[in-house]
Amino acid sequence: MANEVLTPAQGETRKAPGRRRFEYKRLGELGALVVLIVVFTVLNPGAFLTLLNIRTILDQAAIPLIVGVGATLVILMGSIDLSVEGVMGAAGMTFVLLSANSRDTADLGFGAIVVAVALGAFLGLFSGLIHTRLKVPSFIVTLGMWFVGLGLATVLFGTDQIPFLPDGGLKAWPSTLTLGLPNSFWLALLVLILGLVVTRYTKLGRFTYAVGNNEEIARSNGIPVNRQKIYIFVVAGACSALAGVLASLRLGAGSATVGIGILFLTIAAVVIGGTSLGGGKGGMMRTALGVILLTVLNNGLILSGVSSNIQSGVSGAVLVVAIIVAAWPLRSRLRIVK
Amino acid sequence: MTKAIQEERPVPAGVPALKLTNITKVFGPVTAVDKVSLEIPQNQVVGLIGENGAGKSTLLKILTGLHEPDSGVMEVAGKPVRFRRPQDAAAAGFGVVHQEQSLLTNLSVAENIAMNALTSKDNATKGGWYRWGQLNREAEQILARVGAKIDPRAIVGDISFVDRQMVEIARALRVDELTHTSPIVILDEPTSVLERNETAILEREIALLKNIGSVIFVSHRLDEVMRICDRIVVMRSGSVVADRPTSSVTEEDLFQLMVGHASQATKSEAADRDKGSEPLLAVSGLTRKGEYKNVDLTVRPGHCVAIVGTLGSGRESLVRALFGAEPFDSGNLTYRGKQLRSWSAAEATRSGMAYVPAERKVEGMVGGLSAAENLVLARTGRSGWFVGKGKQKKLAQEWFERLDTRPKNPSLHLSRFSGGNQQKVVMAKWLQSETLQLLILDHPLRGLDPGAAETVNAQIRAARDGGTAVILLADTLEEALDMGDDVLVMRDGEVTARFDLTVDSPTSLDLLEKMV
Repeated sequence: MANEVLTPAQGETRKAPGRRRFEYKRLGELGALVVLIVVFTVLNPGAFLTLLNIRTILDQAAIPLIVGVGATLVILMGSIDLSVEGVMGAAGMTFVLLSANSRDTADLGFGAIVVAVALGAFLGLFSGLIHTRLKVPSFIVTLGMWFVGLGLATVLFGTDQIPFLPDGGLKAWPSTLTLGLPNSFWLALLVLILGLVVTRYTKLGRFTYAVGNNEEIARSNGIPVNRQKIYIFVVAGACSALAGVLASLRLGAGSATVGIGILFLTIAAVVIGGTSLGGGKGGMMRTALGVILLTVLNNGLILSGVSSNIQSGVSGAVLVVAIIVAAWPLRSRLRIVK
Repeated sequence: MTKAIQEERPVPAGVPALKLTNITKVFGPVTAVDKVSLEIPQNQVVGLIGENGAGKSTLLKILTGLHEPDSGVMEVAGKPVRFRRPQDAAAAGFGVVHQEQSLLTNLSVAENIAMNALTSKDNATKGGWYRWGQLNREAEQILARVGAKIDPRAIVGDISFVDRQMVEIARALRVDELTHTSPIVILDEPTSVLERNETAILEREIALLKNIGSVIFVSHRLDEVMRICDRIVVMRSGSVVADRPTSSVTEEDLFQLMVGHASQATKSEAADRDKGSEPLLAVSGLTRKGEYKNVDLTVRPGHCVAIVGTLGSGRESLVRALFGAEPFDSGNLTYRGKQLRSWSAAEATRSGMAYVPAERKVEGMVGGLSAAENLVLARTGRSGWFVGKGKQKKLAQEWFERLDTRPKNPSLHLSRFSGGNQQKVVMAKWLQSETLQLLILDHPLRGLDPGAAETVNAQIRAARDGGTAVILLADTLEEALDMGDDVLVMRDGEVTARFDLTVDSPTSLDLLEKMV
């Protein structure tokens, strides 16, 4: 990656690198995206670069983008949230059962979304509390929470018939076009902008970077590290829940496995975007780029007639390559450490 | 600037800025701080010295709110205080420059300076929002006060060591804005990572600080303490053993007070050792772009080559290349009579080279393993894959005794030892190797108190006299002149002078002249 070239030479550091932001440090991903778009356009003339397909891509990107905002915050902190798919299932099912549906008479309307998101936030709070108070590594806690969420969704699903959402109304909302683009995309964009504002202009966001850089130093600087972690897990839970609602709307029915495949997609997107799994480095724009990159890749492969089995293999390979590239500048250091 | 601050100071003259009475802190069986009573007068620089493990660090942690004392009274400007969190200490006017750099390297200079304030109530972050403009302006003002020209928007990870130290000082001063009283600035070994010329800048800053508030200065360099401080407090085994005005003590007195016995520093006798032997390691024309170029260097068994230079002289990178830990672009490297083509740290270790890095936390030790386990990590030459627990323990005990490592418990995790004692274990790891032929030491005395430094130096000399070749990156020029048989001076990646100490007797000034 070309980032080494961009850093100023040793002797000039006193003259400050100016207003450089971490988010724009690397252009490699952007280059990769351009290459993909060119390749797929050439392979599928008249099918890939059309307004219809661009709408499809943006619609497909919405869910991983919403989850990705929460995941980025968690990863920036040096933790990880694996509970995404479980929280999506539980929140999605809650939403469906509380809106007008084919099975029961409950209809909270917009309130159903609020309850579903609150449930996600609550599950995140629970993960955060266990992680910080009982000192359990975040990947274990959230791995458990994944299946707690799935279990919750399955119990809610019960043994009755599948709860369907009625046609029209809310169900049609995500794919309805506003200003020529699907609503799901506008929602994801709103979440992304909120995420950007949080990471750049609030203590919540800046302290996330601080904790990810070095927990001990953050603590000795007076940052309430544990409270910070809990807040972020709550935010991540809420993001996953919102994504669960969106996924359920799109499916038009309640399903415990509404979030299937999203965990890999988002974590891959965050890492490919360049947010370090070690914490402290990266940002929202990178994740957005990662999500778009992977969505374009998947979409392009489908259009080019590649089978879905091979697709997941390609996504995995892209992730591994991205990690190798990301770790490349550090390799000499790693050799000494290990 | 100082006049305005003096006017608003509410504390009457004569009341000490800080007064401690019978402060005690116990950790399990260890009494780290034992009934410490002391006063820090206003507008004075008080030196706090003591060996590693004398209780200085614990005392500082109590002052900064990281530990609560078990008993005793703390008064700031005449009023009793209790610190439960670091924020409480900051609110009372304590600013700290920690021994190990404590900046968040991925945040901007301004954010780091404001961090203590950000975590409490502050205008620049009212309601959880950052006001970047105000944050940067405030940082700029404070940086100007310490005379540093650093862009507050720069990311800390991108600026130099000495600039980071200035940022730390600026941050320590920031408490003043918060409380509007005169700050008490604690400098915990701020010079241990700085080179000599950078230290001079820092000393000037400390002199300025005195006008604004009080300073507690912790250092292992006694000459520095003598130069900077008005009073000197000496700690030994958790208690204050002396509290005297600087004018009434000598360096020798201080040393005796700290360690309880007189200094035993001995001059090396390079001339006595065999000069005729074949060089163990010879390099010629070694070059790495941007780091060093055309370096020639020879080391003979039983001799010590000291390399001096400022930060950026390339000497660190050079020795890492000798050890195979970093690549070089061109040049020849001959070791034990064979010219080497490919070279790696693993091969270097196997063939009797040892490297003790300066960043021991990152590169030299495994904190999660016990001291004993760390000690045997680099065992080379002995056959067998397994290391018997009993043998390991015995070996560790022996080395702990020899290097006077404290606490004397090799089964403790290495991360729980104090910095100096960790260094001793890292040294022992290599020194105990039976096949050791070349020892590369990158700042072996960094962060060590004079007593520990003496022990470590004695071990280095013993190894050298036993036929081991030594390459030393010294902390101070005096150390280089004391330990080295040859001294190489580097500047900007080039060797600017060589002194054979068996023939020449250059002074520190001669070296300094070639360095800058």
